[in-house]
Amino acid sequence: MHTDFTIKEKNGKKYFYRFSLNQRFQHIILFSAVITLVLTGMPLKFYDASWAKPIYALFGGIEATPVVHKSAGVILLLLFAYHLSYLIYTFCADQLAPLIADKKFSLRALAMLIAAQPMMPRVKDLRDIIQLLKYLCFLTGERPRGDRFTWKEKFDYWAPFWGIVIIGSSGLIRWHKELISRYLSGEIINYAVIAHGDEALLAALFLFIWHFYNVHYSTSVFPMGTVFLTGYLSEELMIHEHYAHYVAIMKEEGRESEIRPLPGARETDKTILDNTISPKDLPQV
Amino acid sequence: MQTQWKFSIVFSCLAITILAVLLVPGRSQGADAGNCLLCHKYTGLSRIDEDGRFRLLYVNEEIFNRSIHAKVTCEGCHTDIKKIPHDPPKKVDCLSQCHIVEPTSEQKFSHKSVADFLAGSVHGRYDKEGQPKKYPEDLPSCKECHDNPMYRPLSFFKRVRPGISDAALGRCRVCHKKDEFIFRFYNHVTTRLHTTRNPKNIAEVCARCHDNPELIARHGLSFKAVATYRETFHGKSAEYLSERVPDCLNCHVNKGQSVHQMHSSKDPDAATYKQNKIKACTTEECHPGAGPKLADYNPHPVFNQAKKPRQYYFTALFILLTGGTLLPLMFIMFMDLIRSLFPHASLRRKK
Repeated sequence: MHTDFTIKEKNGKKYFYRFSLNQRFQHIILFSAVITLVLTGMPLKFYDASWAKPIYALFGGIEATPVVHKSAGVILLLLFAYHLSYLIYTFCADQLAPLIADKKFSLRALAMLIAAQPMMPRVKDLRDIIQLLKYLCFLTGERPRGDRFTWKEKFDYWAPFWGIVIIGSSGLIRWHKELISRYLSGEIINYAVIAHGDEALLAALFLFIWHFYNVHYSTSVFPMGTVFLTGYLSEELMIHEHYAHYVAIMKEEGRESEIRPLPGARETDKTILDNTISPKDLPQV
Repeated sequence: MQTQWKFSIVFSCLAITILAVLLVPGRSQGADAGNCLLCHKYTGLSRIDEDGRFRLLYVNEEIFNRSIHAKVTCEGCHTDIKKIPHDPPKKVDCLSQCHIVEPTSEQKFSHKSVADFLAGSVHGRYDKEGQPKKYPEDLPSCKECHDNPMYRPLSFFKRVRPGISDAALGRCRVCHKKDEFIFRFYNHVTTRLHTTRNPKNIAEVCARCHDNPELIARHGLSFKAVATYRETFHGKSAEYLSERVPDCLNCHVNKGQSVHQMHSSKDPDAATYKQNKIKACTTEECHPGAGPKLADYNPHPVFNQAKKPRQYYFTALFILLTGGTLLPLMFIMFMDLIRSLFPHASLRRKK
């Protein structure tokens, strides 16, 4: 993960660095595999729906589609294994090793370090949700001042994370039922069928409704968000979604004078601005 | 003069014979020796029967000739029809001896042995003590499950595919001279080497009774057999016309026995008896190498609190999780759209 947040200017507009090439590639493999899995899995779950049979035929019918489904599943699980090792490696090399080198290592320090990871949920996320609900219900004119990763992004990260664990393990049980049945009751396959299909439905609805709304369909990004391709987010969206982080970056980059106000914010309300956490205050990732 | 008369008689007989041959429909040497197609070839031939049901009486000769009963004459099954036009015929009795001669015994053929199997099975109308079962009229006879099926020939040359192999027919012709015999024999043997119906068809046949709520209640059955089958990969694949997944018969009939010898799962002879189940699962075609615990898998999963509480609550958990996650998020999206129409509005007064 990168700490060197930079601002790119193009045609007089500022763009903020968000995702590395490695992360963007992971995301592309992730969504390609997930879309393939949904297209090859849902027609089987909803076999009697009118759209099911044409989609299944597109992938080669009952003989070929399960092979496509399993192949995409293997790709997703390999990606998950890579992502876990990527997380653990960067965590150990960039954060844990310096801690050990400084002889500051303790279980408490490790727990603190894990809790301070940018994707870990915080109390601020809860406050942001409450602020958002107030804003949406017209109780305030001010959107929540999102940090580097907002609660939505954390939700979007942990939901597939949990989903891959559940769907992946239940998929492997269904695939290798002969092996499983040597050690565990065959009833576990019944549970695996329920978990695989139902969790997949939740994941698909979550991604194609909630995630797509936030990154493509919402009025602030419509018709398509481009950060997943370019890695950079426009200033407008930074202000809209990540205002606290935006202010911190601008300060860090020495461009405090160029900071634009948060729409709807009361001018007298300086406290939130001043209390904004700077990336320097966070443990370096 | 006498010679002239003789010549006239011979000529007339010859003319009548030629005319008769020309007038009789071309394929009459097959099943239609009684010339039933004289009327039944008309596509619109139909009537409303005594029960008010529409009956189509049209017989497509081409399709019939590709069916398993193609060699049986109409009178072979419709034994009470002796004249044309005929009275409303009796229902066909599949146990009657037909005009086909079974080649190994050289006896007239009958489905009588099937009836004996059926009588001793779970579908028989009498129990083991010879007492009539409850509601015997609900129990199936031949025609509840069978119609006149088409041949499903297979070709095994180079690769297995549906259809007839000309290469194989070429081999037959070396010894057998009658093409019609070769055609029938090939069709009969290769059709019999696999199932006459695909799993979807079989499930549909069983569903007529086993998914009928009235019959299920009357006979104390536990669940809809086919609806629950369709909740599994087996049933869903069958819906996609897979022939590799098990149908009802693959699990409910002991290997090597006739499908008519099906028993209740409480009967120790049944393929579905608790201790026998695993044999059906671990055959070479299905899950070879599986452990004995595979038999604990429930191939008819029900969503029922009383019967399967653990699976019920497990499913309910996912339903709650889905609703609990998506509904609040959908509320946020909906409000976000509304809010974007009035970005600067606020109920709180500005200071």
